Amino acid sequence: MNFDLAIIGGGPAGYVAAERAGAKGLSVVLFEKNNLGGVCLNEGCIPTKTLLYSAKVYDTASGGAKYGITAGEVTYDFGRIIDRKNKVVRKLVAGVAAKMKAHNVTVIKAAAMIQSRTGEGIVIEAEGESFAAKNLLVCTGSEAFVPPIPGIESAGDALMTNREILASKEKPESLVVIGGGVIGMEFASFFNSLGTEVTVIEMLPEILGGLDPEISAMLREHYTKKGVKFNLSCKVTAIDGTTVEYVDIENNTRKITTERILMSVGRRPVTTGFGLENIGVELHRGGIKVDEYLRTNIPDVYAAGDVTGFSMLAHTASREGEVVVNNLTGRKDVMRYNAVPGVVYTNPEVAGTGHTMESALAAGLRVKELKLPMAYAGRFVAENEMGNGLCKVIVGEKHGEVLGVHMIGNPCSEMIYGACMAIEQEMTVKELEEVIFPHPTVSEILREAIFTSEE
Amino acid sequence: MAIAVIMPRQGQSVESCILTELGKKKGDQVRQGEVLFAYETDKASFEEEATIAGEILEIFFEEGDEIPVLTNVMVIGTAGEPVEEFRPDYAAPQPVEAVAGNEQQEPESHAETNTTQPDTTYTPTKPSGTGISPRAKNLAERYAVDTASLAGTGPGGRVIARDVIASIERTPKTTPLAKARVQGEGLMAGPFGTGLAGKVRGRDLNAGISSYDREGVVKPLTNMRKLIARAMHGSLQNSAQLTHHLSADARQILELRKQVKNSGARVNITINDMVCFAVIRALKKFPQANSHFLGDSIKYFDRVHLGLAVDTDRGLMVPAIRDADTLSLEGLAVKLRETAEACRKGSVNPDILSSEAATFTVSNLGNYGVEIFTPIINLPQTAILGVNTILPRPKEIGGGVYAFVPHIGLSLTYDHRALDGGEATRLLAEIAGQIENFEAHL
Repeated sequence: MNFDLAIIGGGPAGYVAAERAGAKGLSVVLFEKNNLGGVCLNEGCIPTKTLLYSAKVYDTASGGAKYGITAGEVTYDFGRIIDRKNKVVRKLVAGVAAKMKAHNVTVIKAAAMIQSRTGEGIVIEAEGESFAAKNLLVCTGSEAFVPPIPGIESAGDALMTNREILASKEKPESLVVIGGGVIGMEFASFFNSLGTEVTVIEMLPEILGGLDPEISAMLREHYTKKGVKFNLSCKVTAIDGTTVEYVDIENNTRKITTERILMSVGRRPVTTGFGLENIGVELHRGGIKVDEYLRTNIPDVYAAGDVTGFSMLAHTASREGEVVVNNLTGRKDVMRYNAVPGVVYTNPEVAGTGHTMESALAAGLRVKELKLPMAYAGRFVAENEMGNGLCKVIVGEKHGEVLGVHMIGNPCSEMIYGACMAIEQEMTVKELEEVIFPHPTVSEILREAIFTSEE
Repeated sequence: MAIAVIMPRQGQSVESCILTELGKKKGDQVRQGEVLFAYETDKASFEEEATIAGEILEIFFEEGDEIPVLTNVMVIGTAGEPVEEFRPDYAAPQPVEAVAGNEQQEPESHAETNTTQPDTTYTPTKPSGTGISPRAKNLAERYAVDTASLAGTGPGGRVIARDVIASIERTPKTTPLAKARVQGEGLMAGPFGTGLAGKVRGRDLNAGISSYDREGVVKPLTNMRKLIARAMHGSLQNSAQLTHHLSADARQILELRKQVKNSGARVNITINDMVCFAVIRALKKFPQANSHFLGDSIKYFDRVHLGLAVDTDRGLMVPAIRDADTLSLEGLAVKLRETAEACRKGSVNPDILSSEAATFTVSNLGNYGVEIFTPIINLPQTAILGVNTILPRPKEIGGGVYAFVPHIGLSLTYDHRALDGGEATRLLAEIAGQIENFEAHL
């Protein structure tokens, strides 16, 4: 059978594209060698959020005294936390499978191999069977990057990536997190809540690189108080069993011995093992090179998601997949990256979208920063005893258009989309001032911050 | 005493003209005979001169406005004289030659116009009997659509709801930032938006998404350009045209041309004049090609009204020499020269510019060295002759001797709906024959 669209990879780019294309009447074949849902659903976003919510419940229960609630002795069962996580993942994976069925997507649960591009279209082989499609969307995702640190193999099972640590049977007593990015900080947060001694080693001078540095520092200080040790501007030079050797900013060599090591220094696009080279798809900095329509250098071949190597976020991947389907089905659509939200699901949460002050200045924009502590929102004060938070809005100096919003404080992950809409619509301060926000909510902080523009 | 300068009526079919250029501004002193403004119909451009000297007291329109004929355009008089009564009424154009003291205007409209600012912007110019439907008006008000610029598609050009809706849909949606930048920085919205559902974003204004948007200037088409575009495109789309080429021995006409030059004759007769004369002769023998194709009928003309393509700096014009078959060679030469000159000066009578005014057209690119081309028929005419440059070609001159002989190239485009290849070829051969034996005419 000749399909309209073949998709390799059933993650947030692939399964969303399949669903949308199926809904628009295209015949779609989707290849996935593991479980549908990709890293996001199986080894990333969803399982980590499930674990972090358990940690949050535990934090709330054990920290209830501040709110006049005492719950006696609060304990947790690590095994049941992991079981619940597995149940949630199973449920959602089944949900994706049901969506595929509902939209007439042919799902091939096997590794795909691109064979050639012929007059018939693109030929793909899986399980000895040959498939042809007019268009191909590659969304093979990414995998955790494990750098060749001397002695790394001596760590054995103690060295984990996001995949292995999610399958842990028990809570480690101590954990060294190499790489203080989003993934590193979320696991640091989880294990810190459960009482693991957590040490973060970060090569850059601040955690959460690329986010607003003031907010990153606030989160770091919060976790320092909660007992996480941070070693910034430090480079890991060797691993000997469970001992991690690193050089600090003053060039002193230090050693730390731990039960487990989490490697979270970044992710790399998966571009080999499925025949990309057979049709000559061009790569760029390790990812598949695409334009703003997600087209590769080969006609009718598209790529979306982590495999393109730049945004590395599930929601970016889904939208990229949708851009491909929209353009295939006659709706002109351009991928935009200026309002991609980024969230760190620590407790408190960090969320941001668009330009930071730093990136705006680096881009040569003339901007100003509107900034207010979260305590200006009554609801935040009511629900965050002793907590502090911050909201920053970056606006254009001349026209006051919203260019970026960055927040720390719960539940900013649920509020950030409003900022994305404002940026996508290129709303200016003037328009936002006329929008009514519900009271009392934490989201009002955005409105309050906007009004500081006239001061 | 102040007088109004009206938009003249140019030809019976012209209802309005575009004011293309104001040579003067309010407060300027003008002398009699000075050019006040330039204007164009859909066929030609003209200039209006001052008939009296004085000061320009008021100008009611701006460049680019479409003004109904006989409407007051400006007022000339002595400083301080009132001008209100010359102001063009919104509902009906002012009568011809309204002068000071004319009491035709309603007293109320006096009162109204006295209290409002002079409206020198855009005045709606719908012919009487048109207007806007109440529903369209409602919609237009709600979505701030300028109905004056809408071409109505209702009965008699009335603006109806669908015209307003089409206008709303045509207008690209812009983000607030893009609007602010358009207003504050004078940028233009490009044809594509890269924002939500195709919305025009701030960055689309100056950059756009392709290099096409970044370069050059965009100029709206002049009325004349629009007409040429419509006519030429329409011709290729709506007829079955093809072109035959052949060449005629040009020795005779070249010899005659030499004689005319040397003799210092009163009338300068050019190669083109002779070719046109030969064409007229040939058409008298082939009335099939001296015709209009009217869809389900063909009109054959008794007279030859010869169209001549004239290149002017405003664009191509094709005036018709009416009853060209009644003219002598000298008469034709004079007439062709005068008409071409009038086109270039913009003083040509627009009635002879219509493609219906001519029965056959000649387009001569020989002077420019063009060797072969495929002219486009001016529908409803059925054929057009392209005249090419004169080139030496080998020809047997008798006794098996070959020599290079000057030949003039002839390219006949004909509408196969009206004429068949054989007829067209015979006509072309006849024209060539008339040229080769030109002396016989004299």
